[in-house]
Amino acid sequence: MAKPPLEGIRVADFSWVWAGPFCTLQLAHLGADVIRIETKTRPCVTRMLPPWPENNMGLNRSGYFNQYNQGKRSITLNFKVPGAVEVAQRLVANSDVVVNNFAAGVMERLGFGYEQCRRLKPDIVMISLSGYGDTGPYSEYVAYGPAQVPLSGLSSLTGYKGWPPMHSGFSYADPNAGIHGAFAVLCALYHRAKTGEGQYLDMSQWECAMDLIPEGLLEYAMNGREPVRDGNRDAWMAPHGIFRCKDLPEKIMELTIDAWVSIACADDAEFARLADAIGRPELATDARFKTLDARKRNEDELEKIITEWTSQRSEHDAARELQSHGVAAAVCASNKDVAEDPHLIARNAFVRLNHPEVGAQQHIGIPWQMSGTPCAVRAPAPCIGQHTDEVLTGVLGYSEAELTKLRDAGALE
Amino acid sequence: MTGPLSDLKIVEVGEMVSAPYASKLLADMGAEVIKIERPGAGDRARTRGPFPGGTPHPDKSGLFLYLNANKLAVTVDLAQREGFEIFEKLLASADLLIHNVAPPDMDRVGLHYERLRKVNPRLIMTSVLPYGLSGPKRDWRAENLNLWCAGGVCYLNGGGPLSGDLPPLKTFGDQAFYQGGAHAAAAAMGAVLARLRDQDGQHIEVSVQESVAAEMEMVFEYWPYIKMIGSRLGQKPLQPVEIFECKDGYIYVCCIEEHQWRAFVDLMGNPEWATMEIFGDRLQRGINWDALKPFIAEWVSTQTVLDLYRKAQDRRVPFAPVSTMGDLLSSEHLKARGFFVEIAQPVAGTHRYPGAPVKFGRTPWEIRLPAPTLGQHNQEILGRRLGLAPARLEELKRKGVI
Repeated sequence: MAKPPLEGIRVADFSWVWAGPFCTLQLAHLGADVIRIETKTRPCVTRMLPPWPENNMGLNRSGYFNQYNQGKRSITLNFKVPGAVEVAQRLVANSDVVVNNFAAGVMERLGFGYEQCRRLKPDIVMISLSGYGDTGPYSEYVAYGPAQVPLSGLSSLTGYKGWPPMHSGFSYADPNAGIHGAFAVLCALYHRAKTGEGQYLDMSQWECAMDLIPEGLLEYAMNGREPVRDGNRDAWMAPHGIFRCKDLPEKIMELTIDAWVSIACADDAEFARLADAIGRPELATDARFKTLDARKRNEDELEKIITEWTSQRSEHDAARELQSHGVAAAVCASNKDVAEDPHLIARNAFVRLNHPEVGAQQHIGIPWQMSGTPCAVRAPAPCIGQHTDEVLTGVLGYSEAELTKLRDAGALE
Repeated sequence: MTGPLSDLKIVEVGEMVSAPYASKLLADMGAEVIKIERPGAGDRARTRGPFPGGTPHPDKSGLFLYLNANKLAVTVDLAQREGFEIFEKLLASADLLIHNVAPPDMDRVGLHYERLRKVNPRLIMTSVLPYGLSGPKRDWRAENLNLWCAGGVCYLNGGGPLSGDLPPLKTFGDQAFYQGGAHAAAAAMGAVLARLRDQDGQHIEVSVQESVAAEMEMVFEYWPYIKMIGSRLGQKPLQPVEIFECKDGYIYVCCIEEHQWRAFVDLMGNPEWATMEIFGDRLQRGINWDALKPFIAEWVSTQTVLDLYRKAQDRRVPFAPVSTMGDLLSSEHLKARGFFVEIAQPVAGTHRYPGAPVKFGRTPWEIRLPAPTLGQHNQEILGRRLGLAPARLEELKRKGVI
């Protein structure tokens, strides 16, 4: 029976909110035993954020938490009570990886800085995914997920033409840091497997996000110019945009749910196929549109012509018809569209495991498939402290009597 | 000190961003990457800027130079039988193949794992594909824009309550492809670790659409949990979390916790309007945002970006500048951390590039080589390493195979 890649690897997960948990989610997907160290005295922010079924809040009921903590275990410790720190120390001593996403200095104050962890486990791999990194004049600045998008430069590059800078609409720097952090941990585990050496990994979420905007940075580095925001357009493709389709007839929860299709033509041949698809084959030889340069010059007009066609049909029909002519098109999908996407359903992209408090909810699964060492979400996200007893007795060797003593003292809150 | 992956050999068949970014992540950690490009034009990224002076040139594309530093480049046409044979010879001694050849083209040239496994059973083949290798959209064409949309995040951005006529707004750059590439690099390293144990290769397929959908914050779950559709239209649940204009640029005003709002009000000198009941807590500030926004805008417009940023941070309020490219390249913090790296490339010149995503304590991230010109290493790799004689190389060149 094939084992998942990280079977036997244990992760002591001090992280919270999104970036760190997204990092350890990947390690759990790959088969690691990820144990989250939580506390009931200050639960993870995402446990207290919506959505909750029936809108009834509960620490174990958040869809946000339950998405990004699939397949992990949870123990609760109150570090203010004697005995709790030792539990975490024993966990580090029995782990291969330590993950946190606190600002610089916080882990040291808790007693779990790299030097401290190294004394507990000499070959430990430790990563910190902080907002600004461990060094530099701003290392102690406060970083919240949404602020990292403008900080990274993404916002000054993103926006409608002539408009102010815009956000990306979600805290994009967080999962970006998480996936890169997981990659870095895996590289460090490979180094450890070859040499026996652990190491410390210092990630700045800010820097990691700047690795995604080389065109912007290089335009400035090479030519001293700030790029001009240009909506959904692209300098080397036209059309390249998101076009209005027939709106859904209803308003849902006071929001107008509108419908859009994205279309991109990489070259003149693809544009000719588009012209065919929308019943205007003559556009392919029209002087206004037949070359990229011409289409870029007349892009407003081109977009108007395409909108005349898209606005007559649903976004799903538009995407299908364009694809059947070999044109890159896709529905601008809402969360509902993603949840109901027949393609994703056919690929078993979703996970529905039975959770004790929210039942079998639909969650996004693992974005990769491996032929030799299959990865699977093994369990739903843990309830807070769900695995305290089994980890303390099963992994860390505490006796039942010691466990009771710690519990009675309030160390396991 | 060399990177942790210095004993890994990778063959890349990559265009644009997704597979090239995955192999860049590995190359920068020490792996050897041989990049295979189409004879003639090469990777499409070579046609995309920015270019020094704005003049297109296949060896001067900023995007290409960034994504392909540390790689060796050969030109081989996989669609020709002799080209595929050369490809198989390169794979015989490789640890990983990373590619983003679209499924219909994989079928056309016969790029299938079962075939490659016969050449090298220890090979880890990683396919980074728009929609994966199965399902009804397997063969759909996709640019980055389409996948940012298909993954559900684009629908969440843009416009605002008074601009419903504007379309959802794409985030700058090829973000869907970066996420697909990063997920591919992580999965590939998982397989490399598994191979230490199992001594066997395997095939990994990564869906870019699914990589994006996995990053929808809490919004995806709004549908299964409470049947609510997330939208860029309508008010945000809590405020202020918005971009405002200062005298000399833009700043992100961010008060998520109540104590942050109180500190901001104090920073503004406790104006009378801030005590109004309709701004009493973060939810109320969300509901009454139309009334609150002009007050904040007016005050912020009297400030300068860096000064307000520092004053807010001094009070532990997580404001951030809306950094311009110039701000980033001159940031004292990034300079102190040595983030940007200078790379000299003979054709494009010397420029500063974004650097390491993570600083490794022991095994540093490192740029060893500038990005290659088209076919730069044909002689070294195909001639010296594979042992093809000069006459044979000439013949293959004449046939357009290399």
